[in-house]
Amino acid sequence: MAEPKNSVKTQAGASLQEIGMRKRLNAWAANHQLVAVETLMRLLSKPLGSLLTWMVIAIALTLPGALWMALDNMEQLSGRFQASGRITLYLTPKATEQQGQQLSDRIAALDSVANTEFIDADTALDDFRDNSGLQAALDFLPENPLPAVILVEPPLGIEQAALLRLIEQLKSYQLVDSVQLDMAWVERLQAMLALAERLIGVLGVLLALAILLVVGNTIRLAIAARVDEIRVVKLVGGTNAYVRRPFLYTGLWYGMVGGLLAWLLLILCWALLNGPVADLAELYGSGFELKPLSAGAAMVLLLAAMLLGWLGAWWSVSRHLDHIEP
Amino acid sequence: MTMVQFDRVGKRYPGGKEALSGINFELARGEFAFLTGHSGAGKSTLLKLMMLMERPSRGQVFVDGQNLGRLRAGQIPYLRRKVGVVFQNHQLLFDRSVFDNVALPLQIAGYTPAEAGRRVRAALDSVGLLGMEKRNPIELSGGEQQRVGIARAVVNKPALLLADEPTGNLDPELSAEIMNLFLRFQQVGVTVLIASHDIALIERMGHRRLILDHGHLHEGQIAGAGGIYG
Repeated sequence: MAEPKNSVKTQAGASLQEIGMRKRLNAWAANHQLVAVETLMRLLSKPLGSLLTWMVIAIALTLPGALWMALDNMEQLSGRFQASGRITLYLTPKATEQQGQQLSDRIAALDSVANTEFIDADTALDDFRDNSGLQAALDFLPENPLPAVILVEPPLGIEQAALLRLIEQLKSYQLVDSVQLDMAWVERLQAMLALAERLIGVLGVLLALAILLVVGNTIRLAIAARVDEIRVVKLVGGTNAYVRRPFLYTGLWYGMVGGLLAWLLLILCWALLNGPVADLAELYGSGFELKPLSAGAAMVLLLAAMLLGWLGAWWSVSRHLDHIEP
Repeated sequence: MTMVQFDRVGKRYPGGKEALSGINFELARGEFAFLTGHSGAGKSTLLKLMMLMERPSRGQVFVDGQNLGRLRAGQIPYLRRKVGVVFQNHQLLFDRSVFDNVALPLQIAGYTPAEAGRRVRAALDSVGLLGMEKRNPIELSGGEQQRVGIARAVVNKPALLLADEPTGNLDPELSAEIMNLFLRFQQVGVTVLIASHDIALIERMGHRRLILDHGHLHEGQIAGAGGIYG
């Protein structure tokens, strides 16, 4: 046996005091780094088992993420419609083409109007005949049933009150039979979007809860598999924080990798849908393009995933770890 | 200076079993003592009270001048860092090397890897296992595993070293070797208390004896062969 003299000759009890504060802080940071790397390696060393958890988290995040992306795009779309909210003036049948044109010019000169367009009854009928496919039926009509129309375009970003005043003013013209604001459906759309937003919120909370449970259960199993180690660590003076640390990091990694996978899935969704959506938009003569999730939103998704993973681990650790005593 | 003091300590387990009652004794700093008694006499319970693995039902336990009854749960880890323990089943972790097993208390206490490495090698050297640091403890013999356990117990240079049946599974020759190891730690100032029922070995070594009998402590001589410890 080797000479023991040079090994345990220090005075008893003089161990911790020898280590300076800075050294301990460094060691603490080093331990975090070590645990972070070790836990990630542990997960990667059993990729199949880990992948299952990662995919559950990723799918649970992709669902609200995809809806969020869709909502974002719908809002962009509705924003465009709102910008082009037009007022249609139907003129009385007795208005002549000349009167209509004059009125259109007068309205165009108003402050609260950006532009007007006069469509006389004959042109309206021609347009209708071309676009409706009712050509044969229209030919049987004895006279043109359509009124002349003035399209009034308010300036962009006009306030609601000013818009209402404008409508009242337009109604007061004698030649105007009725005024229609193409806003009602935009408002309906927005009400529906608000509802969808609420639904996504509720769904998001439920799925976040699911992630907490999945991570919590996975960590519970990890704790059960390492009971011996936890006992020994506590026996030789490991604090609760020390014992918790690897499990919290494991939760964090589950969340982070799950979040990254969710991001990839969302990009995949976007790539799959972008082509068809662009084709559809083109058929409607719109330049609308499906936007992918913004970098900011992706970051929020990732951070939320990490937070959920960490919280799930915390929840599990606080429930199970204290019961394991040497 | 006293290292350990028990003051009218009693321990009753839930269910009414009286494991220890009226325990009074002191261990001086640097003392070497054996704790003996029939199995179930309360040896393990007594050791556990010093580690706060159990708390006494009555009385007070002092370790290194600290009243353990006053320690909050958050302070227990720091007490355990001052006390090294060796178990009969050595409580080694088989998912890591001998080196990592011994390094665990240092890692927990926040030593830098370089400093920890030095101390681990010194501890392994002191138990004669310097060449085996990269091995997995499962490859080692029972005696070697026990020495790894001892190295882990002393690596943090504890003031107090407790051992619960450290030679329980070993043949007489290996047992004597392990006991000599404990003696060497005492020689460098560590207070050592060893629970054992290996009467022959204890008699040969001739140190102070604390005898537990159904939860009561007697100081001194063991009853002759054929007595309750026969």
